[in-house]
Parts: sequence; C-alpha cells; structure tokens
Amino acid sequence: MSSEKHEDPGQGRSVKRLIYSVGGGLVLVAIGALALESDLLPTWISGRTTEAPAAQSAFFQPPSEDELPEGPFGEAVKRGRDIFMNTSTNAGEYVGNGLSCSNCHLDGGRQPMAAPMWAAWTRYPMYRKKNNQINTMEDRVMGCFSYSMNAQHSVSGGPPPHGSDIYRDLDSYFYWLATGAPTNVPMEGNGFGKVAKTEAGYSSDRGAQVFSANCAVCHGEDGQGQTDANGRIVFPPLWGPNSYNWGAGMAKIDTAAAFVQHNMPLSQPGKLSDQEAWDVAAYIDSHERPKDPRQGKGTVEENRKKSHDGDATYYGQVLNGTLIGVGTPDPARPVGAPDAPAGVTPPE
Amino acid sequence: MNRPDKQPVKSRLADEGYEPWENNRRIPLPVIWVAVALAVWGTATLLRDSGSYAVAQNERQSGETVAAEAPEGGEALFLARCSTCHQPNGAGVRLAVPPLHGSDFAKAGPEVVAQIMLRGIDGPIRVSGFAYDGRMPSFAAALNDGDIAQIASFVANRFGGTGAALEAGQVATLRAAQANKGSWQGGAELAALVPDLPTQPPMPAEAKPATDPAISALVFAGKSDAWSCASCHGDLGQGTENTPRLAGLAQGYIARQLRDFRQGERHNESMNSVAKALNDHEIHGLAAYYARQRVASAAQPALGGDLARGEQIALQGDWSIGVPACFSCHGPSGFGVAPDFPALAAQQPAYIASQLAAWAGGHRNNSPLGLMDRISEALPEADRRAVADYLASLPAVPAPEQRAEAKIDGGKDEL
Repeated sequence: MSSEKHEDPGQGRSVKRLIYSVGGGLVLVAIGALALESDLLPTWISGRTTEAPAAQSAFFQPPSEDELPEGPFGEAVKRGRDIFMNTSTNAGEYVGNGLSCSNCHLDGGRQPMAAPMWAAWTRYPMYRKKNNQINTMEDRVMGCFSYSMNAQHSVSGGPPPHGSDIYRDLDSYFYWLATGAPTNVPMEGNGFGKVAKTEAGYSSDRGAQVFSANCAVCHGEDGQGQTDANGRIVFPPLWGPNSYNWGAGMAKIDTAAAFVQHNMPLSQPGKLSDQEAWDVAAYIDSHERPKDPRQGKGTVEENRKKSHDGDATYYGQVLNGTLIGVGTPDPARPVGAPDAPAGVTPPE
Repeated sequence: MNRPDKQPVKSRLADEGYEPWENNRRIPLPVIWVAVALAVWGTATLLRDSGSYAVAQNERQSGETVAAEAPEGGEALFLARCSTCHQPNGAGVRLAVPPLHGSDFAKAGPEVVAQIMLRGIDGPIRVSGFAYDGRMPSFAAALNDGDIAQIASFVANRFGGTGAALEAGQVATLRAAQANKGSWQGGAELAALVPDLPTQPPMPAEAKPATDPAISALVFAGKSDAWSCASCHGDLGQGTENTPRLAGLAQGYIARQLRDFRQGERHNESMNSVAKALNDHEIHGLAAYYARQRVASAAQPALGGDLARGEQIALQGDWSIGVPACFSCHGPSGFGVAPDFPALAAQQPAYIASQLAAWAGGHRNNSPLGLMDRISEALPEADRRAVADYLASLPAVPAPEQRAEAKIDGGKDEL
C-alpha cells in the first residue's frame, strides 16, 4: 500500500493515455472491420481476391435448365440438348468415333473459353477461310460432324444432309443458350481463346513429358481415353481411330493448345504454362488419327498445301521417320453398325 | 491484494484529489467513440445480413416455384434416377447403355420393368438389335415400392407405349418374390419373363476364382499384428459412417490406397497400422476380394445435405466456382473409372464428407494431379454434405465381372 502511495501523480495521465489509446485502437479496429466487411478496401490491403465473382460476371450467362421453355420450341431445345450431350446416340448414324459435342464444348456448351455455343450462335453466318464461303450455323455444324465426329466412318458415311432435323434441333439449343446475347458482336470467352506463341516453339518430345504428368491419368498413357464399367466413354480418346480426324480444328496445334491451357486438367485451368500447353498439344497432334476427308484421292502433300497452309500442325511432315497425316487404317465396319444376329459383343 | 486492503485505496483517492464536480463529469470521450463505432458496426452488419436473408428467401421461393413447375411423379423420378445412364429421352448410350425407347422390355409392361429394377442386370443383353454388356445396379435398396411403381409405370408408358400402371402393393409382392435372387443373368434369363424376345446372347462361362483362404482369414479374422477388415468395414465391405464402403471399388484403387497407407502417404491411424502389417501379396489379394463383392447399398443420406444441390454438383458441377461434375471423372453413374477414379455410388456419406474436408484442409494428398484438393477447397461445407448425401442415395455399383478383373490383373494395377 505504501508503495502505491509513492506512485507519481503522472500515473493519472498515463492511465488516461492508456484509456485513450486502447479506446482509439478499438475504434480503428471497428472501422477497419466495417470497411473490410463492406469490401471498401483495396485487395492489396484486404488480401481478398474478387476474381471469382469478376470472372463470373465478365462472361455472358446463358439461361439454366430450369428455364427451359414450354411447347414445341422447348421440345426442340431439349432434343438439341440431348444431341449435343449424347451425340453418338442421338445422331449416331452420323458419328464415326463415339464422341459427343460436349466432349470439347464443356458444360453442355456453356463454359467460356471452351467454344461456348451462346457465343458461337451470334457470329453466324460468317465467312470462313476453311472452305472460302459464307457459312451458316448449319454449314458449320456439318463441318463438326465431318471432322470432329469423323462422320466418314459412321453408319451413314457422312454428316447429316442439309435440312436435317438434327441441325434444326441443335440450332434451337444454341439459339436458346444465346437468349439475350448481342448479335454479330464478338463475345468475351468465345472460341477456345488464344495462347501466345512461345519463343521455344513447340516440341512433341517435350510434350510427351507434360502429357505423362498431367493428362495420362484421365486420357490414358496411350491417349485412348477411358470408359466406365458399361463401356461408355468418360475420358475421350485424343488420337487413333476413335478420335477426331485431321480436318478437325483440334488437330491444329494452336487450337488444341488454347483448349488445353484454358480448360485442362479439368477444374485446374491455367495450370499448364503457355509453353507446356503448346508442347502437349503438339504431342497429342503428332499422333496418327483418321484421314482428313478433304484429302480425297490426292496425296498428303497436296492436301497440306490446299487445306493446312500456314497451320501450326505436323500434318504432312515427317516425324521420327514417319509421314504424319496418312490416316489410321479404315475400320472393318462403321462405328455403331448393327451387330451380326448371333450373340457377339459389340466392338471396343 | 486482499479484500480489507481495498477500502484504504478508496480513501486514499478521496484524500488525494476528490473533487465534487467529478460526479458530473462526462463519460470519457474514448468510451463514447467505442460505443458509437460498435453501434455503427452492429447496425451495418444487421443491415447487410438482412439483405442476404432477403436474397436467400427469394432464392428459396423461386426454387419452390421451379420445383412446382418441374415434372412430377414417375417422370421426375426417372429423370433423377435413370437418366444418367438411359438419358432423359430414353435413348441410352450407343454401344454402352441399352435404350428404353421402343425396347421389348419396356413394351413388356411395368411389371417386367419393376422386376428388372429390383434385381438389376448382369450379363449380355440384346435390345433393339444391339448387344450390350449389361451392367445395371439393383434399385431394391435405393428405392421404395412406391417409387419403383411410379418409375416402372412411367417407363412402360413413355417408352413402351403400354397403358398399364403398377401400384406400390404390386411392387411389394414382386419384391418379395425376387428377393435374394441376385442380378438377372443377362437377356437369356430375362427371356423367361418376356415372351417372344429376339434371340439373346448367351451368358459367357464365368470362371469364379476361388478366394485364397489366407486372404479370407485376413478379412474375417485378421492376423497377429492386424485386426480383421470386417471388424470395421462390415462383413461384406459395406462400410458404415466414417468407414468407407469397399465392395465394388476397383482393385487397382484399393491396392493403391493400401500401399499409400502403408507408406504413410495417406493418414489414418487404424489404416496406417493395419497396412503396415500387409505384404504386397496380401494387398493384391484383399483388393481383388473387395473389388468383386456385390453388396446392396448400406448408405443413407445422413448429413442433412440438400439433395437437389448434391445432385446438381454430381451431374453438372458448379462451374461458377470451378467445380466440374463429379460424374465427368467418376463415370456418368458414379460407377468409377478404374483405377484412379473410385466408384462413388452408395458410398457412406460421412466418409465422403470427411475426405472432402481432408483434401480441402491438406490432410489427404494422394489424389492424382491434386484434382480433389482443388475441387474440395472450392466446395463450401454445405455443398460437401449435399453431394455426400446425394451419392449415398444412389444404388450400389455392380462389381466388375471376372473378365474385366482379368484385364486389370494384367496391366494397370501398378498405376
């Protein structure tokens, strides 16, 4: 007690100062918390990234499944959606490899940077160098059947003919996905985006390692994809007779690199560097796949000049002593042809 | 300082500098600041929360109206239960899943459909001119009589064009008659049920490998330094709560998890200890044993998750948070893709939720490419419960046949 008596009169002031500083500190904390909660602080202070919502709002939002319209138009949209999601069944006569549109156009054609259909729909009719014509959406989808779906090995031997209901239903689906989108304006997130050319160029040898490390777990070390217990394709084949052919956009290294960089591995877009994306795309597209239907009876060299001029591709080049682009051997029977009457199991 | 000492302190203050005007002194300014700041903070938080509450309320109401407009009864159940394989339009998947539309089995009426649903199919079957490697799960444990009656009636009506409808009571009778018979052995056995069926492919001779007695002993009795598998995972590998279902998981997957437990790359005290007692031969044998167990689902939604949200995550994913559909890797029905993507159907919900939490928290690291780490981090806790509960509501995976197992034996086991 006596010691307390010795405390100097300044103690009152220091206690006061203490009260002021603690009180002031509390006020600052409260104000700061309020500012943080209201997202008023710049991200370099708050450390909060607003990327996810920003990315979400930066792209066009197509309508959801709940908003499917009623009536004949709604029915057409549903049929179109079913064709899009399960092409090798619902348009099976014209699919020569078992794939579906949704294998590349992710999330049912909704995913930005995975060639979303809401962005594609609004750009047609447009001029395309590929066939030096004004293409309608129907022309364009016909190209998808011919190249990406390798319709030449299908039961019908080619894409659906012009005027087919398949185009009508697919168009209805695309049109519905593009509800509210501006016409004839390039939209953010269209196509697969681009990946800048790298200084080191592309190399299938380097790509082989990237593939092993990042792709093989799903698509298989042999690139032939994987199926579930029922034999249904879960991870699509990337080369070989059951993949897209040499006329597909994905057979061009730059297109494949953009798709890979922006979408693969699934759920980890951007994981691969630009260089890795180019290399792995080169590796994937250095493997033989079904013949380019545009080659006709000509040689690979002639078709390279005609159809692949200026493309980033190994088509027509000699790689490890082998000419690339001659095509995989034609299968004995079209994909999905009816079985022989006795009980044999279907191919593959 | 003890109590009696306090009085003198007060008196000291009174002695030293007590002034009567201090009674009227204002509350110190900092205290007012603090009070005002806290009041502003509290009010603002309340306002913000009420905004969120209003949004949530609106979402719930719009969700309810959507639900009211959505298809009902048999069609809704079909879309939820059957369309991942047979597709919304009943067209199936070419070369993989038989179509229902126009199939002889749908035309045969709802009783046949219900009996197929109750037992599942395991064997080759010819539908509309194509042969399929039939592998359909049994819905006996996953659906009640009323649901099966509704789905069977819908399928027979919509895809078979028959007018007949089935009642829950009739399904109960069928259930009793078909109980414990195992899966239908392909189209050949079903031909007895459906007259005038086109020729069905024969069942391949199945060479059931005899279970190694040593492995069997491990499963049911354990050995000196490891307790038995069955003591936690159940007699048939059906699992319970946080102990996973093992029946029907791919052999390569089980083997890899055991090796990871043994090496300490995956953490669980019990499993680390048991796995350390196993040699490679035993791991291989145990994995093979559980891969071919066919057991009805013992899992039930138990975490209070939103099943509709769970279904959405499993089937479509939520790309706005960078989460792809579970089924885009684990197979369109949650059957798994051997050997790296395990079957999810009928897995115990507490186990799924705890693994998702472990990945998100960095406590489990053996997912290829860190795929599950990234996805689990993106899923909020409520979504993890939702998807775990949804997966538990699915019918159990039909275990791979011996033919497929032989293929695994030859190659990919080491992956």
